[in-house]
Amino acid sequence: MAALDRYTCEDAFRRLDDYLDRELSPREVDLVREHLELCAACASEYQFEEGVIRQVREKLARLPAPEGLLSRIAASLTQMREG
Amino acid sequence: MEGETPPSRAVPTLPPTEPTADTPPPGGADALSAAHQRQFEALLAPVLGAAYGTALQMTRNPDDAEDLVQEAALLAFRGFGRFEAGTRFKAWFFKILTNVYYQSYRRRRREPELALLEDVSELYLYVQTARAGLHGAGMDPVERVLGKLDAEAITGALGTLPEEYRVAAALYFAEQFAYEEIATMLEIPVGTVRSRLHRARKLLQKALWRLAEEQGVVAALAAERK
Repeated sequence: MAALDRYTCEDAFRRLDDYLDRELSPREVDLVREHLELCAACASEYQFEEGVIRQVREKLARLPAPEGLLSRIAASLTQMREG
Repeated sequence: MEGETPPSRAVPTLPPTEPTADTPPPGGADALSAAHQRQFEALLAPVLGAAYGTALQMTRNPDDAEDLVQEAALLAFRGFGRFEAGTRFKAWFFKILTNVYYQSYRRRRREPELALLEDVSELYLYVQTARAGLHGAGMDPVERVLGKLDAEAITGALGTLPEEYRVAAALYFAEQFAYEEIATMLEIPVGTVRSRLHRARKLLQKALWRLAEEQGVVAALAAERK
C-alpha cells in the first residue's frame, strides 16, 4: 500500500465509531486496521472504546417483560378483533 | 403493502383446526382472524422483553412503558397485513413502538429541551482512566472501572441522557440495531443517527465515570495503587 493511501491518526480517529459499529466499507476497514498495526496509541484508544461498548451492552439490564403483559395484549387483540 | 401475504415464515405451524393465514386480510382489523392473531403473538413474544426495556428507557416509567408497548402492539396488529413476510419483525415492531412514543407519550410527558448541552471531551473515559493511573501494563482499565458497576447502574446512567440521545442509545446499545435501522425507526437521516450516537457515547461515558466516582470505585482503585 502506498504511503499516500495510509490513514493518519486523525483519519483513524474520525472513523472510530463507524469502525466499531461495522459501518465502514471493506477498504476503509483495511486502512484502519493497517493504521492500528502501526500506531500503538490509536490501537489502545480503539481497544478501550470497543471495551466500553462491550461492557455497556453486556451489563445493560435485560428486563423481562412484566408478568402477564403478553396475556393482557392478547386479550386486547381478541377484543379488538371481535369487538 | 395492502393485500400482501401476512408473515408465514419462522412462525409456528398453526393447528389444523384453525384457519390458515395464507390469505392476507383484505384490510383493517376486521379482516384479522384468530390465526393471524396467533401468528402475531408468536412473533411478538420473543421481542416483548426487549420492547419493554426500550420503552422503559424512553418513558423512564414502568407503567408508561407497559402502556406504550400495549398501544404499539394493538397498532401493529391492526397493520399486520402490511408486514412483509421474511423481513425482521423486531425492526418493524420497534418502528411502530418509537412512532407511538413520539406521537403520544412524548406529548404527554414532554421533557424540557436542553438549550445547551454540556460539552464532553472526546475519549472521556479513556482520558479519565489514564489520569487515574489505570493504564499500566497488564491492566484492563475498562474492566477495572465498568466491571465494578452493575447493570442497574449502567441502565441508570443511560437514563440520565437527554431524550434524543437516550432513545438512539437505547436502540443502539441494548438492541444493537444498525444505523440504518435506527434512522428508519426515528425517521431521521443516517448522518443524524451517527452524530446522536457519537454524542450519546460521550455523555454516557461522563455519566459512567461520575457513577464510578460516586460509588467509590475510583477511590478504591486509587487506594489499590498505593
